[in-house]
Amino acid sequence: MEPGTISEVKGDEVTGCPVMHQDFSQTRNLGDYWALANELREGCPHFYNKYSGGGYWVFTRHEAVKDIYKTPEIFSSESITPWEPNPIYRFVPTQVDAPDHIKYRRILNPWFSPKAMEAAAPMMRELCRNFIEPLVAKGRCDFIEDFALLYPTAAFLNVIGVPVSYTEQFAEWVDMFFGGFGGDPEGAENMATALSEMRAFWTEQLATRRGKPHQEGDLFTYLLNSTFDDKPLDEEVLLDMCTVLTLAGLDTTRAELGYMFHHLAINPEDRQKLIDDPELAPLAVEETLRYYTIIFGDGRKVTRDIEFHGVQLQKGDMVYALVSGANRDPRHWERADEFVIDRKKNNHFGFASGPHRCLGMHLARREMAIAVQEWLSLIPDFELDSDVQLHERGGGAMMALERLPLRWELGS
Amino acid sequence: MKLQVTTACMGHGRCYSLAPQLLESDDEGFVTIRGGDSIEIPDDQRELAVELAGTCPESAIIVTDA
Repeated sequence: MEPGTISEVKGDEVTGCPVMHQDFSQTRNLGDYWALANELREGCPHFYNKYSGGGYWVFTRHEAVKDIYKTPEIFSSESITPWEPNPIYRFVPTQVDAPDHIKYRRILNPWFSPKAMEAAAPMMRELCRNFIEPLVAKGRCDFIEDFALLYPTAAFLNVIGVPVSYTEQFAEWVDMFFGGFGGDPEGAENMATALSEMRAFWTEQLATRRGKPHQEGDLFTYLLNSTFDDKPLDEEVLLDMCTVLTLAGLDTTRAELGYMFHHLAINPEDRQKLIDDPELAPLAVEETLRYYTIIFGDGRKVTRDIEFHGVQLQKGDMVYALVSGANRDPRHWERADEFVIDRKKNNHFGFASGPHRCLGMHLARREMAIAVQEWLSLIPDFELDSDVQLHERGGGAMMALERLPLRWELGS
Repeated sequence: MKLQVTTACMGHGRCYSLAPQLLESDDEGFVTIRGGDSIEIPDDQRELAVELAGTCPESAIIVTDA
């Protein structure tokens, strides 16, 4: 990172708290966001991040991040992007607080439960192999474009009952949306376009299913037949739900897969452990979610005046819980800065925590474990195909490797 | 020793993935003994119980000597 980006100067209105001027939407070199998180965490437990027209509090250590997640009555999810306290979208149930939040979650939880994902696993495994097999004989690929963007999208569409032929269309919408989510003004227009096109798609999907009974495997007829306080879900809520499921379900898994396979490409000893014992994959996935968390931070809106970890917060303030700082905080973790492939005491916040913990976590884990197992069974040895600098999308929108060129010996 | 799960459980699933022989999940993904009964942990699985408590992001798992 650039030197001098953290100022020791105290802000006029924020006594005793260092002020910084950081833009988390920028693309940076691979790994720079975690390095920045380490630096912020070790520099101070909290910062005030100012930008033109506003600012928000950043809490950098495990204990504060944990407390933010544990007290949703103080830290509302009304906005989860601290640089945009009043966003143009509303994710349901992501941005809904108690008491309504749990009612929505109870509708959605069973669809994405471990048991449901167990049942979907053979389908995912087959899809996964279908994406890898054509790559084997090529000896090289861009892992992101040729695999990580496609397989989780196809698996997700299958899980919710949308034809897999829409895979590429969805991948494009999701890419456009996250170009603006992190606060980059240049991405704002694409974000709005992607939102409106997705909503048009879901409106059409819902219209063709309205009035029909629930069909096995079809999330839309399930939602159309679900009730909230004994009433059917209204159209706006249904659209908001579909939108967030899509955005959260596709981009995140591709991002985590990118980092995981980058790690495996440059750490052959970890690759070998997974080849020798494919059952290790779930633990390796959890450690990926801790060590290479893609959530730079998670935003919340303060509901009342309160002193929190030494900072006087006021109602309406935005806070940013630096998950990437917490997940490598040596005050909490043994061997915090090491990738420990079989780590068991792994209470990381890679899926957040508290009532808003990631709905799709069981799907994401399953997809990732299957990807590792199937890839290594078909392409056991691989390495980076280039020594060019790799880049990651800004942490504001969740970090993601833009490219990951890999190569392997044919017939290896 | 005894293992209990409080209502703080949010269904992360790390405990029952790590010890399917001890813990199960319900249809929503919460551990089935959430906010309810405790289970006995055999003496030779003491280390596992500590790992289970350490794997929960909600600190919902309480292990006691009894």
